[in-house]
Amino acid sequence: MFITFAFVTLLGALGMLLQKNVIVAGLCMVATFFGVAGLFLLLANPVAAALQIIVYSGAIMVLVLFVIMMLNSHEEEAAQTARPVQRWVSVALVAALAFGAVKLVLTSAGLKALAVSGEPMPGAMTLQKVGTTLFAEHLLGFEVAGILLLAAMVGAVALTKRNL
Amino acid sequence: MDKLASLLHTTPAIVWMVGKVVVVFLSVFLLASVWTWVERRGSAMIQDRIGPNRALLFGRWPILGLSQLLADGIKFFFKEDLVPEAANKGLFWLAPFLAFVPALMGFAVIPVGKSFICDGVTYHLSVLDPGNGMGLLYPLAIGGLAVYGVLLAAWSSNNKWSILGGMRASATMVSYEIGISMAVVAVFMVSGGYDPAEVIKAQGHLPWTWYVARQPLGFLVFFTCMFAETNRLPFDFAEGESEIVAGFNTEYGSMKFSLLALAEYSHLMTASALVATLYFGGWQVPFMADPPVLLSVASFLVKMLFFAWVFVWVRWTLPRFRYDQLMHLGWKILLPLSMANLVFHAWRMSQGH
Repeated sequence: MFITFAFVTLLGALGMLLQKNVIVAGLCMVATFFGVAGLFLLLANPVAAALQIIVYSGAIMVLVLFVIMMLNSHEEEAAQTARPVQRWVSVALVAALAFGAVKLVLTSAGLKALAVSGEPMPGAMTLQKVGTTLFAEHLLGFEVAGILLLAAMVGAVALTKRNL
Repeated sequence: MDKLASLLHTTPAIVWMVGKVVVVFLSVFLLASVWTWVERRGSAMIQDRIGPNRALLFGRWPILGLSQLLADGIKFFFKEDLVPEAANKGLFWLAPFLAFVPALMGFAVIPVGKSFICDGVTYHLSVLDPGNGMGLLYPLAIGGLAVYGVLLAAWSSNNKWSILGGMRASATMVSYEIGISMAVVAVFMVSGGYDPAEVIKAQGHLPWTWYVARQPLGFLVFFTCMFAETNRLPFDFAEGESEIVAGFNTEYGSMKFSLLALAEYSHLMTASALVATLYFGGWQVPFMADPPVLLSVASFLVKMLFFAWVFVWVRWTLPRFRYDQLMHLGWKILLPLSMANLVFHAWRMSQGH
């Protein structure tokens, strides 16, 4: 199962990068979101999986595709000049990031805890647990995020509707 | 069941699971195709016509023209399968499936009857057993994906009318989803759980404790938004044949069109099942605390088919809205009502503690 979802995620991501057609690239991204939702399910977190699909595939990608259709630009524009240096720098950066991430995971305490047999497995996440965690432990962060989103929304309206 | 399992070299659990998947999805599929006939007969009844009553089963039995849908199916199969020259071929093929699969998948969490115990094993009458952790978030998630079918059908046809339809569909879907979510959150709050089994249990068997009586406003908002979600009149702007030819299915013909139509009716079935589960006590039988299993299934089917009929009824009663009216209704009326419903129930719960 893990291999399937990992392949869906990676192939979707690759397809998004390599596709010249913007709409098809968007669909590949939806496939990636699905793969990630599947991975969340395997991590015993069905709530995150459902929210991933509702928010990313159900709302954000639909809006992105809507804008693409509205602007009617279906093909990616070609770059004006070749950028060989940037290409190699980006490859090196990504390699360094990937190396660091893998190293971090392999040396993390969570992975060591998995090796100890007999540890009780944490139960699956439920919506109730998400709610209590948000409001009991991360109340400040939650409120700050709420205010930030509200400010962003007000800003978006103020920017687009100059004469209200 | 044990015998069948040993015959097939599997375990009873797998036989039960496969059986459930096949039976539930096949019935939804069949009901969806029957509903194409119900729609035509119903529209005829409302408009004082006769409707399709000529098709004979095996050339002999006119069962109210019910075999019309067989005839339609055969006709769709043998029609020429046209793909427009400038269409994006792959996506043009993919779109009807992308419309159909989510419409059917949403049904998976809905319990069609009471769980029962047989030989010490509990059998649940829903494809996904309760306690799967997704609960009613799942139909919301899957319902949100239905728009991709319409969007892709629209875009891949490479036709101006189609693209207009697709854009309208995506805008409608995103706007009305917020109202739906808010209404559903109020249900989650009052029932204290988000699994359909918990929601049904919390409603009890008395009709005045069902959520339609406790949250009439939430029900109205949810049901209205469902019309927009399923792209049905008075909100079928993706199609809008008086304005944009036939919207996203302008270029579709033969089996692909039939699949798009079936997707709409499957979506309608899933929406009716959701309304029955959330607001009308699901499989609960009125005034019966512990109904027999078959009666509970029948009760659920009656409720679901009633709402499926209401979808048809409304379609042939109300005229289509204008597009700006739709957006006005969604954002300025239904969303505030839904929020008011949520805040009111939150306030009532806080008073109760």
